[in-house]
Amino acid sequence: MNDRFTAIATEARDRWEAARASGREQVSLCLDTSSLARGGAETLAALQQAVAAKGLNVDIQTTGSWGFCWLEPTVSVRSAAGTRTVLYHSLTPDRVEEFVQSVLVEAGELPELALGVVEGAPSDQVGMLDDHPFMQGQIRRLMANCGQIDPENIDHYLANGGYEGFVKSLDMEPEAIIELMLESGLGGRGGAGFPAGRKWDFLRNATAEPRYLVCNADEGDPGAWVNRILMEGDPHLIIEGMLIAAMATNSVEGYIYIRHEYPLSIERMNVAVEQARERGLLGEDILGSGKTFDLVVFVGAGSYVCGEETGLINSIDGYRGMPRIRPPFPAQAGLWNLPTNVNNVETYANAPLVLRHGAAWWSGVSDDEAKGTKMFTISGAVNQPGCVEIPFGLSVRELLEKYGAGTPDGVPLKGYQPGGPLSGVLSAEEADLPLTLAPFRDRGLFLGSGGIVFFDETTSVVDLCTYFLGFAEDESCGRCTTCFQGTQRAVEILRRIGSGGGRESDLDKFEDLIQTMTWSNCLHGSFAMTTVKLALRYFREEFETLIREKRDPTRSLPGMITYEVTSPGDPALPEAAAICPTEAIVEAGSSYDIVDELCIRCGACAEVAPDAVTVRDRFV
Amino acid sequence: MAAEPTTRELRELVAEYEFERGHLLPALIEIQEHYGYVSREAIEVLARQLRTTPALIYGAVSFYADFRTEPPPEREISWCSGPACRLRGGDRIREALQRTLDLPLDGQSEDGAYGLRLGQCNGTCSEAPQVWVDGEVVGGLTVAGAVALAREVKGDA
Ligand SMILES: Cc1cc2nc3c(=O)[nH]c(=O)nc-3n(C[C@H](O)[C@H](O)[C@H](O)COP(=O)(O)O)c2cc1C
Ligand code: SF4
Ligand code: SF4
Ligand code: FES
Repeated sequence: MNDRFTAIATEARDRWEAARASGREQVSLCLDTSSLARGGAETLAALQQAVAAKGLNVDIQTTGSWGFCWLEPTVSVRSAAGTRTVLYHSLTPDRVEEFVQSVLVEAGELPELALGVVEGAPSDQVGMLDDHPFMQGQIRRLMANCGQIDPENIDHYLANGGYEGFVKSLDMEPEAIIELMLESGLGGRGGAGFPAGRKWDFLRNATAEPRYLVCNADEGDPGAWVNRILMEGDPHLIIEGMLIAAMATNSVEGYIYIRHEYPLSIERMNVAVEQARERGLLGEDILGSGKTFDLVVFVGAGSYVCGEETGLINSIDGYRGMPRIRPPFPAQAGLWNLPTNVNNVETYANAPLVLRHGAAWWSGVSDDEAKGTKMFTISGAVNQPGCVEIPFGLSVRELLEKYGAGTPDGVPLKGYQPGGPLSGVLSAEEADLPLTLAPFRDRGLFLGSGGIVFFDETTSVVDLCTYFLGFAEDESCGRCTTCFQGTQRAVEILRRIGSGGGRESDLDKFEDLIQTMTWSNCLHGSFAMTTVKLALRYFREEFETLIREKRDPTRSLPGMITYEVTSPGDPALPEAAAICPTEAIVEAGSSYDIVDELCIRCGACAEVAPDAVTVRDRFV
Repeated sequence: MAAEPTTRELRELVAEYEFERGHLLPALIEIQEHYGYVSREAIEVLARQLRTTPALIYGAVSFYADFRTEPPPEREISWCSGPACRLRGGDRIREALQRTLDLPLDGQSEDGAYGLRLGQCNGTCSEAPQVWVDGEVVGGLTVAGAVALAREVKGDA
């Protein structure tokens, strides 16, 4: 072991232990982006105020997320003696007073808000957190610190085994590190699953110097926020992973490219980089080893294709973030045309675990062909939108039922999108697929980066296609005609079908586009039609019904429906007329009429006067 | 946020950026953070500073959705375009917002009092459907709620 590191880690652990043995109660509030969206900042202020006003013997710290995103703000309370920690949920600002009184002042528990006991014994009313249905079967390795440590305090990371994997790698030859990564079987988590060890080996064998590392934290797939959970919950894990990759590849500098929609991730990564530098873990002569590696947090400015690795490189280089033509590949000519390795946040974050615990431990978590654990975020038609970490191989249905608690209101599942706008849609019949790479590859798509979006029977598949193709159109960089014109054409046809103008020949046109667009330069263009391709495979009748019968079975496409007043005397109608944004609801005698030409099918009237306004098919 | 940027101020602001690759985006972000937008003048000043052409810089400014070329409106509704929001009526909310404000996405009123922007999912999908009003999340929105919100932002309420 490196002596300097031993000293740093020991000091950190001493401070961490001292804080935990302070004889004060510890309140740890999750303050991530989801918590902030649910009033977390106000909760924090209210907690601080109440604790100060009452002169309580309580320390308050902030942490990242436990993954219970739909129940934020979550907060854990560790007893003064340090023998018992309980995690609570939904501590919105209005509940703080009651919470402080019963939990902190009266030293009781609030079973109705308790998620479970983190440390200590369960009681009659509060069970163990590990037994909570949402936690059962989860294996928290990447997320081990999330929710438990202050991400802005490097001591906390160091006290929990942090940077030990890196220190091991300091004494290893690059070949040996790469050998270990290959042995673990770690595949890239950004979408394609390419073995990380092999990619690192490309860079190790590059001929030019200096070499660079890039961490892809662009997380552009809407509905995916696993990288955000890691950056906001345990930023040092990513830094440590990049350090290990640097040792394996002799890289001197790294860039963490974070989308601008993630201000808190940017802030926490910056704080972490700064702290790592202060402790001598980044910069020149790291821990006296003679090795140099430093990190730059680089902020994006809103572009999906900047998540594509060569688009990202162009973006840092100071050009428009247009994906490059490959070859050359980044390992040959990346940043400033020098050898570069790009990996996803979660890929790097696994490296410290492999180094610390060995390849066998790391890959032994399941016998699936895809190794290790994977984080998934679940959203859309689910009761519990949140973030989980599980071994590969669990079925999609289990993910939905067990962690998402099923679809809202019991509406049957119609399908799901496994990983981002380029990954396509699958129907509910495919919900028994195991969440691993092969079954998705066999069906012509990628499992993707971990954002799984479920949709139920109320959703029109044509609407979904319009949305995803519209996204691809908006975000096309414009280099390839196949991509920017192809997506545009697809959206036009989809809109036409969705407003009653579909033609029999449209389905052949799609086939044409599916073929033509595969000739685009990058996956953005060549995979953009995956959604339509798979929608035609699984939901062809829905397209046919729209085209032949001019009827939308889901009665949700604006172009296929009309709104009608069917209960003239309803007292809610005046309010409906008042809310209508186009003044389409007009008085007619003693009742109201909807002027169809003015109506934009927004549905506001039906929300306000659900018993008086009816949605009808427009053409049948 | 400062008013009309002057050339001198702009030069000072970007003085530390060099003709070195990797400086363009950070410089543009700094300009926008300072002034709220990237003006024509700023593009020219930055081009001189980085020893490149205004065309290259404008190319980048127009490529990235986050950059504005005119001062931001006083109040702004940013609409989440993501899938979870879409599945819960997000697109009808967009229609209603556009009609109520009489603006396209990424448009703003002539007097700069209010605007509407296309926002991207940031993984707070538990709040779907949502918008951000001046940066604050308003979640669990209904279409009727969105109309009321837009009227309030517009000053019609
Ligand atoms: C249009 C497009 C967008 C992408 N967006 C991301 C992204 O946001 N994050 C990411 O890690 N990879 C993204 N990728 C994949 C990257 O190009 C690259 O494969 C990945 O970062 C490699 O890391 P990994 O090997 O660790 O998975 C995207 C690819 C394409 C074609
Ligand atoms: S496929 Fe689309 S995003 Fe990719 S390079 Fe071509 S135009 Fe750009
Ligand atoms: S659907 Fe919208 S536009 Fe049409 S009548 Fe109802 S409120 Fe007005
Ligand atoms: S889809 Fe709107 S926040 Fe994710």
